[in-house]
Amino acid sequence: MVVAIHLERNKKSDFMDKVKDILPDGGNLSLCLTCGACASGCPASGLEDMDPRKFIRMVAYGLDDEITEHPWVWMCTMCGRCMYVCPMKINIPALIFEGRKLWPREKRPKGILGSCDMALRNMSCAATGVSEEDFRFVVEDVLQEVRDTQPGWEDLQAPIDKQDAHFFVSQNSREPVKEPEEMAPLWKILHLAGASWTYGSQGWAGENYCMFLADEENWKKIATTTIEKANSLGCKVYLNTECGHSTYSVWMGQKKFGIATDLEIAPMVKYYAQWIREGKLKVNADWNRDLKIQFTVQDPCNHVRKSFGDPLAEELRYVVKAIVGEENMIDMVPNRSNNYCCGGGGGFLQNGYKEARFYYGRMKHEQVMATRASYVITPCHNCHAQIEDLAAHHGASYRTVHLWTIIALSLGILAENERIYLGPELQEVNLPQKGERDDDK
Amino acid sequence: MTSEITGAVLVVGGGIAGIQASLDLANSGYLVHLVESKPAIGGVMAQLDKTFPTNDCAMCVISPKLVEAGRHLNINLHTLTEVESISGEAGNFTVNLLQHPRYVSLDKCTSCGECAKVCPVDTKNDFDEGLRDRKAAYKLYPQGMPGAFAISKRGTAPCKATCPAHVSIQGYIALIRDGRYEQALKLFKQEHPFPGICGRVCHHPCEGECTRNDVDQPLAIRELHRFLADCEKNSGTFYTPGITAEKRAEKVAIIGSGPAGVTAAYQLLQMGYSVTIFEKQAEPGGMMRYGIPEYRLPRDILAGEIKVIQDMGAEIKCGVSFGRDITLESLKKDGYAATFLAIGLHGGRRLGVENEDIAGVLQGVDFLRESAMGKKPEIGNDVIVVGGGNVAIDVALTAKRHGAENVTLLCLESREEMPAWEHEIEEALEGDITIVNSFGPKSFFIDKDQRVSGIEFKTCTKVFDENGRFNPQYDEQVCRPFFCDTVIISIGQSTNLDGIREQGIAISRPGGLEADSVTFQTPIDWVFAGGDAFYGPKSVVDAVACGKEVAESIHRFINGLDLREGREKNWEFVRPETFNEVKKDRVKVNCLDPKARECNFLEVSYGYNEAEAKSEADRCLNCGICSECYQCVDACLAKAVDHGMKPAVQTIQVGSVILAPGFEAFDPTAHENYSYASHPNVVTSLEFERLLSASGPCQGHLVRPSDQREPDRIAWLQCVGSRDINQCDHSYCSSVCCMYAAKQTVIAKEHSAKPLDTAVFYMDMRTFGKDFDRYLTRARDEKDVRFVRSRVHSVEPGADGMLNLRYVTEAGGIIEESFDMVVLSVGLSPVKEAVQLADRMGIELNSHSFAKTSDLLPVASSRDGVYVCGAFQGPKDIPQSVMEASAAAAAAARNLASVRGSLVRAKELPPELDITGQPPRIGVFVCNCGINIGGVADVPAIREYARSLPYVVHVEDNLFTCSQDTQDKMKAVIRETGINRVVVASCSPRTHEPLFQETIREAGLNQYLFEMANIRDQNTWIHMDDPVGATEKAKDLVRMAVAKAVYVEPLHQVSLPVKPAGLVVGGGVAGMEVALGIAQQGCHAYLVERGDTLGGNARMLGETWQGEKVAPYLQSLIRQVEDHPMVHVFMNSEVFETTGIIGNFTTHLRSLTQEAPDTVVDHGATILATGGHEYKPTEYLYGQHREIMTHLDFDASLEKSDPAILNAGIAVFIQCVGSRTETRPSCSKVCCTHSLKSAIKLKKINPDMKVFVLNRDVRSYGFREDLYKEARKAGVLFIRYDVKQPPELVADNDGRLMLTVLDPILGRSLDMHPDLVVLASAVLPNENRALFELFKVPVNAEGFLVEAHSKLRPVDFSSEGIFMAGLAHYPKSLDESIAQSQAAVSRAMTILSKPEIWVGGVVATVEEGRCAVCLTCVRVCPYGVPHIRHEGHAVIEPAECHGCGICASECPGKAISLQHFTDRQIVAKTDALFSAPATPAV
Repeated sequence: MVVAIHLERNKKSDFMDKVKDILPDGGNLSLCLTCGACASGCPASGLEDMDPRKFIRMVAYGLDDEITEHPWVWMCTMCGRCMYVCPMKINIPALIFEGRKLWPREKRPKGILGSCDMALRNMSCAATGVSEEDFRFVVEDVLQEVRDTQPGWEDLQAPIDKQDAHFFVSQNSREPVKEPEEMAPLWKILHLAGASWTYGSQGWAGENYCMFLADEENWKKIATTTIEKANSLGCKVYLNTECGHSTYSVWMGQKKFGIATDLEIAPMVKYYAQWIREGKLKVNADWNRDLKIQFTVQDPCNHVRKSFGDPLAEELRYVVKAIVGEENMIDMVPNRSNNYCCGGGGGFLQNGYKEARFYYGRMKHEQVMATRASYVITPCHNCHAQIEDLAAHHGASYRTVHLWTIIALSLGILAENERIYLGPELQEVNLPQKGERDDDK
Repeated sequence: MTSEITGAVLVVGGGIAGIQASLDLANSGYLVHLVESKPAIGGVMAQLDKTFPTNDCAMCVISPKLVEAGRHLNINLHTLTEVESISGEAGNFTVNLLQHPRYVSLDKCTSCGECAKVCPVDTKNDFDEGLRDRKAAYKLYPQGMPGAFAISKRGTAPCKATCPAHVSIQGYIALIRDGRYEQALKLFKQEHPFPGICGRVCHHPCEGECTRNDVDQPLAIRELHRFLADCEKNSGTFYTPGITAEKRAEKVAIIGSGPAGVTAAYQLLQMGYSVTIFEKQAEPGGMMRYGIPEYRLPRDILAGEIKVIQDMGAEIKCGVSFGRDITLESLKKDGYAATFLAIGLHGGRRLGVENEDIAGVLQGVDFLRESAMGKKPEIGNDVIVVGGGNVAIDVALTAKRHGAENVTLLCLESREEMPAWEHEIEEALEGDITIVNSFGPKSFFIDKDQRVSGIEFKTCTKVFDENGRFNPQYDEQVCRPFFCDTVIISIGQSTNLDGIREQGIAISRPGGLEADSVTFQTPIDWVFAGGDAFYGPKSVVDAVACGKEVAESIHRFINGLDLREGREKNWEFVRPETFNEVKKDRVKVNCLDPKARECNFLEVSYGYNEAEAKSEADRCLNCGICSECYQCVDACLAKAVDHGMKPAVQTIQVGSVILAPGFEAFDPTAHENYSYASHPNVVTSLEFERLLSASGPCQGHLVRPSDQREPDRIAWLQCVGSRDINQCDHSYCSSVCCMYAAKQTVIAKEHSAKPLDTAVFYMDMRTFGKDFDRYLTRARDEKDVRFVRSRVHSVEPGADGMLNLRYVTEAGGIIEESFDMVVLSVGLSPVKEAVQLADRMGIELNSHSFAKTSDLLPVASSRDGVYVCGAFQGPKDIPQSVMEASAAAAAAARNLASVRGSLVRAKELPPELDITGQPPRIGVFVCNCGINIGGVADVPAIREYARSLPYVVHVEDNLFTCSQDTQDKMKAVIRETGINRVVVASCSPRTHEPLFQETIREAGLNQYLFEMANIRDQNTWIHMDDPVGATEKAKDLVRMAVAKAVYVEPLHQVSLPVKPAGLVVGGGVAGMEVALGIAQQGCHAYLVERGDTLGGNARMLGETWQGEKVAPYLQSLIRQVEDHPMVHVFMNSEVFETTGIIGNFTTHLRSLTQEAPDTVVDHGATILATGGHEYKPTEYLYGQHREIMTHLDFDASLEKSDPAILNAGIAVFIQCVGSRTETRPSCSKVCCTHSLKSAIKLKKINPDMKVFVLNRDVRSYGFREDLYKEARKAGVLFIRYDVKQPPELVADNDGRLMLTVLDPILGRSLDMHPDLVVLASAVLPNENRALFELFKVPVNAEGFLVEAHSKLRPVDFSSEGIFMAGLAHYPKSLDESIAQSQAAVSRAMTILSKPEIWVGGVVATVEEGRCAVCLTCVRVCPYGVPHIRHEGHAVIEPAECHGCGICASECPGKAISLQHFTDRQIVAKTDALFSAPATPAV
């Protein structure tokens, strides 16, 4: 039963007015032409009988009561694909963000809420709650193991709080907790590139669930902690490992909250490309010349559309083509800044709306299937988890890998135990030479 | 304004607006300069297929205008021209025009197209939007005016510019690609005598500049001309240039038969001189013979290319030593007029190391010479070559071939610094030569036999100093011994000056010959010096370049001309974009296996075979577009092609300027989500026009670009490049896209043999023009076009070339569909060049970069005397552009009225010959049309056949009958032979009949004594493969033409004086503007208003849509009208009776209020501006509640600060009240804008007021979109309603209003209690049935006046001499009414400005006695000309008849005949077709 809308002369649209006050140019919110471009391109259209255009329309009519605590705000990942083509450049993601704030904090999805709160427990800022000491222990333990068991890596470094390192590297806390051996390929890559880098004992964790929670105070707190740590170590570049939202939370958080720093806040992909171009990472695709294993690549919304744009997408392709071979890289359609969000961002993975998430992700699944690729390279943790989940949900065979895995594979430095995301056909390929390592050090 | 006023107008832009403005001005007494940047006029309209809403063919509609403008005596057409600068002021501007070269003479070109046929260069056809290619020699489009071809150039190609000999490299490559090897070789040899030699040894600097370097590797330019030489050699005969110059008595002596000497001889021989070459050695060739080893340059190749000059007449005397056997003195004595010293560098350069002269130490040049002479040089097994240049490498490889086991090459330079070319170094390494770098010789080791046994080398630390000069530094501490039995020194060359110095020939400081660097003249004026001996060791091609220059100098010297003038040419080039260029690998040259090279002198390189050469030639990027292959020069029999044309600046004086540079279709490449750049099946709407067009890339056969398959489904996406502030900055609406998309769907369906699904995805359907909504409804309901209100997010490429669209319906459902093609309805962008033009013109642009104008002066720019029209002023359709063009013409003429007619040209014609009573004497002129006709049909046979036809007294055939000289000849023939009828058998009457008619009229014959046989377009072009049949058909056609010509008669036009006054009916703004405009042009204006006030609807308007106050304007206008002595106002009066024809009407005016006799006025033109009014709604409780009002009510209430408005909490506007209904299908056009302005005002009064606009589409076209945006920004909410489910407005018992409307997005109904309801009610025409019947002007079903042609005659009626303006034509805003009024002035002035008009000619005439008054003619005439009144028979006014002939063919009583197409003439023609000719009785 559709309820009629009563418009009264004195009733105001408080929510609309509030959001317009917050956003630059009022987010163009009132400029809507109701053309439907947003809804046409949104994977969340139809969930909860809602789409971006309807949402704006309801806001415009002042239906604040109906908008408040609407579950759809958690099903929109704020990926920005709507705004990308909106002829009026309406900031719909920001509107949704504010829509999340209409929920009392305690009623917001438990998964996100818990992760945010966990990150606030100590200065690590890790959603998994890992303490500084535990992190240091895991890092040193893994490092020691690599040094002991992998010939040629006896002098591998994984410094924490190294003063005046060039790069401040953040680390998603999933790795130290769940799959510590995944950290080693990255360290090796940084080593070969000759990068001067460090973790921070504080704010090392590269995630920010408080942002998803629309808890601005604590988004700011976490971003400030990590940026200030990097500042204090005298670093020049805040380097995010392959994680879209964490990059965005720091990059955007710094602007939004005006956190003082001279740091360049950069995604890892940019430096992979630079190091390959400079010859520091001598990658090649010879290992795949005969295998011809096909790869596709996911453009994380937070890295590409929402922040660094198509130039970064081009860098990503440059890296992928260099390591798997140009002929073995198949793009999804559409791609780059117009890529479909996978449905893993915005806290979707943690918010409990699992069915909705799979519905949302069907677009991505179909895109991947159309490429017929065996692997999806996902330089983002949320994309990684969601796409892996999608494959399982649909019973599909494509696998999901981080970029570091394939870079290390192509460099011949990916150890046997670092191949958990690789299929059986790649377990033996390009293994490091036993005994010695040949690099340029 | 200065006192001097110029009666000429500059019109910039040759699109439809510019053409219309030019024609209006030229037809009303002003000289027009029409400037167009392209080679032909026509603009975008010429590119369109059909035009909305009538589906007329755009080309058919525009082409008469093209011809009229192109041939107009008072329009100076400046094509390929831009405005460089302007100075002066209104009334007297000075303008500099820059004309770019066309490379084809407009006067000489006959448009036969032979140049394009032979042109080997394909380039993108911009007229077809790049969907296919055209030639570099081209005509913009077949109907283009002027008809002459043009040649596209982009500077000179880098290869040609860089080649020292400036060979047309791109040209011969293009010809190779085309398989025309002989022509290619000939082209090469125009500039360079050694294709085979340089094809092997050239250092090819051209390749270094080849644009392909930016993509992959340069073209193998050298290999390609070697291929040509190989072809030549294989054919067995060498091409020898024919000597066309007259043989001259002067002799020239050339000393030295190297490349410089031979080239000079080659050039001088072609100029007609006698040449003798004196060569010291036994065989000619110089260094080519004695310095280049045979394995690189086989002797037969050399000999063959030198023999050419002997075949041309040069004498080569070998074994003659200059200074010993001959001297300058002896040459002088022998009568040589000039001498060229081209003696070369045959000596070696010494090391300057002790013991250099011991046995076993040789000089490289001597060694090579000996080897070349066939001697076996004495060398041992271990050879050391000192030197790092090309010669050193030749020496090393030659030594190897002579059997040396170990050859080591030592040089000062590092590997990177070595002067030898990289490929030569590689060849050396392949040949097993050891190269040792960075060592300089220190001392020789001598063995006991006093032979060399080795050298000690010292380390060279640095070869060049900071300034890059050769200044080697050594480290003598680090030395290395090398042991050998032979040392060959090859570090440079020197001139042997024995016998030179003694003759007083000047020697330069480095030891060469001294001469001028440009002219090569030595201090002895008749002696010239060049080649290596002058400038040091260089390549063969440098010698060729030098030889050419010397030849030119000698020619000038002999003829006493200035040696320097014009010699230094700047060879600049422009590179094309290589962004999207596909990589193609350079074709490799096969070579002799390195092992097979040992101990022999077989040629190493095999060169290209034909397939390889073609494949390599195909890589050329056509940098210069035109390749300068000069094939067109030879092909053009009219001698019209001139590659030497230069840009020219012309200064003109004009009184006014009209700018109409048009628009540019938006480029959607940046909208990456639409896949335009990446997918061939996504096209722009303009590309789609070309795809639909019969003259387009697929001849109107609609197919997908990707695979030429006929599409099943096509989608249109609207607002691409319009109404977008995100991906482009075009926030405005482009006004025309909705309508053209609707048209394209309908036409596409018509073009499709199978059912075609068409879907248009849009935001608002903006079909606001006259009859547009009717068209839209028909498309939707009758043609099943789907109109989907949704903006598609992305176009996603799918399988099989399909394109997937995912979109949301209005109700929120997601739909996915696949289409074969997607058409992007791209908007109108400002032209970049026009933005610069505006800057040069000093006029302001608006925020969207279109010309800034005001509503009350709609065609005036910000600079006095400069006017604008067309899309340059804002996005608009063709009728509006044409209207504004006429308006601009009127505005431009307003201040020039005093000098009208001062600059126009009139043709002085001789009196017409009276041929009454003369028997027919027919002259037949058969045209060869170059080879267009003569190349297929047997023209002499046709000519002779014509001689046999009755009454034919003169026949001839011409190369081009239309050329100026033939035209002059034709006039003479007419006078001399007494011909009284002329038949031309040639191309097409469509293009050439007016020209020939003009010619015979100039010879004194009546222009109608002419007949044409179309033996080209309809004969030789279509029967190209059947010469015999074509000849026979031509004879048939000529026989028919002659048969008709027997009966053609002179037709005379009669002149009628024009009454220089205009009658204007209606005293609103439109009528007043017209009356005032006519008066300002010096004619009387009679303004008739039936009411008692002037001003009409404008009295009720507060401001224009851009916010200009209407009242002050209106008061001023009324005052001017009342005060102007030439305006005569008749208030409270009506037209009672009117009679007459164009130029000569008589009208009775009667007062409605006074008993007074009628006023009778005579006038030459009539303008109806009878206006319209606001519809008083019967809907929405109108009239029952004071809160419910129309727009005019609202404006009046607001003016009075009505509290009902000021205190409203909820205000609702309801659009389309009385418009777009079944009975009144038109959009009233002005109401959306009005509602937007009113809504914004309400929000300004009270920002908290809730304001809703209930609409069906928001039609804020053009820049009015800014208002829509402003309203939304202010918080006005727009709710769309469906006509089937309109808003409901009711009142309860308390009189409280309750409004319900469905929100289509949410699918929920909204209800509210509005405090104010504004009904956007329709605009209706004023009731004037009787008046319109009086003037016999048609109205449509809604009562609006019907114009003559909705596209190109928007203010004319089909009855000549009557025009319209304002709301009576269609609802329009005040600015549009004013523009249309000015347009009406302009149109009327084309009549009133003339003292007389000529009527008659090809018109229908009525034989009164046979007329049965059946009214058939009255019914069928599309122009409403025939009438039957008191005369008792049909009357057809010759002044009004268009000569279409429909009445003549329909008249059942055969009472009507069409002059010049009488039954007798037509029957004679058809009889002639089927029967052998018999002498008819006359």
